Amino acid sequence: MSYTSNSIVATGKRRLLMLVLVGIVALIILFLISLAFGPVSMSLGVIWQSIVNIVSTGPTSGNERIIFNLRLPRVLGAFTVGIGLSVAGVVFQAIIRNPLVDPYMTGVSSGSGFGASMGMIMAVGALSTYSLFIVPVGAFIGGLLAFSLTFIVAKGAGGRAIHFVLAGVITGMAFGSITTMIMMVDDEKTHSILSFLFGSFTSVGWNNLWLMVVPVTALTILIFFKAREFNVILLGEEQAKQLGLDVTNFNLSMLVVASLLTAVCVAFVGIIAFIGLVVPHLARMIVGGDHRLLLPASVMIGALTMAAADLVAKLAFAPVELPVGAIMTLIGVPFFAYLLLKRGKE
Amino acid sequence: MVCSDDVNLWYENYHALHDITFSIQKGEFVGLIGPNGCGKSTMLRAINGLLKIKEGCVKVDGKNIHELSLPEIAKICSNVPTEFPPDFNLNVIGVVMMGRYPHRKGLWWEDEEDEQIAREALRKFEIDHLDTRNINQLSSGERQRTLIAKAYVQQPKLMLVDEPTSHLDLRYKLEVMEYLRDLIAKEPDMSIMIASHDINLMAKYCDRLILVKKGKIVDFGTPQQVITEKNIAEVYGVKAKVTLSEDGIVNTVPQYSLRLRD
Repeated sequence: MSYTSNSIVATGKRRLLMLVLVGIVALIILFLISLAFGPVSMSLGVIWQSIVNIVSTGPTSGNERIIFNLRLPRVLGAFTVGIGLSVAGVVFQAIIRNPLVDPYMTGVSSGSGFGASMGMIMAVGALSTYSLFIVPVGAFIGGLLAFSLTFIVAKGAGGRAIHFVLAGVITGMAFGSITTMIMMVDDEKTHSILSFLFGSFTSVGWNNLWLMVVPVTALTILIFFKAREFNVILLGEEQAKQLGLDVTNFNLSMLVVASLLTAVCVAFVGIIAFIGLVVPHLARMIVGGDHRLLLPASVMIGALTMAAADLVAKLAFAPVELPVGAIMTLIGVPFFAYLLLKRGKE
Repeated sequence: MVCSDDVNLWYENYHALHDITFSIQKGEFVGLIGPNGCGKSTMLRAINGLLKIKEGCVKVDGKNIHELSLPEIAKICSNVPTEFPPDFNLNVIGVVMMGRYPHRKGLWWEDEEDEQIAREALRKFEIDHLDTRNINQLSSGERQRTLIAKAYVQQPKLMLVDEPTSHLDLRYKLEVMEYLRDLIAKEPDMSIMIASHDINLMAKYCDRLILVKKGKIVDFGTPQQVITEKNIAEVYGVKAKVTLSEDGIVNTVPQYSLRLRD
């Protein structure tokens, strides 16, 4: 390493600036590509002209409507969910002090799978016109319900990190089996439930995008304010206490914040696995373990990875669209295996 | 400097510390010895306020520890942890800088002063060349020095060290003790309390020793006063030969377990 003689804080600041600049450029490029490609592909020149037209007069032509009504909210949704799940992953990994933990560890994903299934069953007859909202609301409530159960069991067991992992596993199993029963009993809903369980951005539009963007942004900012605390917590609960951090309250409040963040993401797009595990890892490989760099890096890489995976989902077997959750899992599994093998060798 | 007065502590019904009373001067290097489970770590945790005591009081630098908040304690009392963080790609200077957390001023970055203090600590413990190295790539001795440097930049009045040498090779054991000895010589305002079950190592380096058995202080004094064949027999249940070398260092050679020879 060459900056031994340099100030470490100055280096940190410089790296953060670089990270933000490179990240923004990459995001803009991926943003334009996401607008350009789909069942109908357009050149970047057309995209640019359309954006200018949309900004000045609103969407008028067919292409402009596709860009404005379908692709724009979709790519913004992918960015948002990528950020939310990645930041939640960073939080869970730090608090559990295990870099192999993911945001679904407190049972949020299985809970929201169950909630979404219940929503689909209820959204019939007169209620069917509200199905667009009943399912996400059901998923959100289900996610929080699962988290609350995990929380109560883990708290009762002693409230240490490992108790949350174990309680999360059993809660997840319980909700998973109920969801399976619902699928078996109600054949017609099997397809919709399955597509929720594998996640997709097809249902993201202007009517629900803000419901994701506002809470994800707010919760992410809240987590950013605690970057130094997340560093200290890596030294262990007792050591963090001896550095003056009220560990018990910090851990509990951050578990709640990160679970809320996860539930918001899952509610609208379904369960997308591995992003919250893979992205913090990639970020840690690039910028190291300091959360003041790791959190911004995870935001950038999370948004990029999610949008890229969604592009693959849209294009790989066009016009058939694949579930983005399955794509992420296909990327995530070998990555996870690689990490396990690497750790085994050390 | 540090004084403990009639401290009693219970774990539910178990009376873990009995009437712990002692006082330590500025610049003193005090060892806490006794068999496993005798209450060494409990004592350290009672001193830095991690465990709530039921009776008595602990004062560090004139302040009653058990009336202070966690951040206030962190400014006068630091601790060298026994556990090491898992692989999170942390580097040496990053870990050392965490010791500046109780003194933080800004929201995000440390300032110039923090950095100077951390740099000085890296030089003091001779890990400056490893500053950006991943902590998981360090030798056990280098890790231990990193953790001591972290405790040092907290600028405490009292540094607590719990079993620093248990998993170290012989050379690193001696080096860690040398570094601590050197530290206390240069920081006359600070005291160090160190818990270990290595009697000879403690006898060689500490100014005074506290001998603990079942949560009670059996003896407190210089190594020569505390390490006697009678005390070793009483506390450890071991027949030992205690000798004094020419340069005044006490050496204990265990002979046999008294229980098995009865």
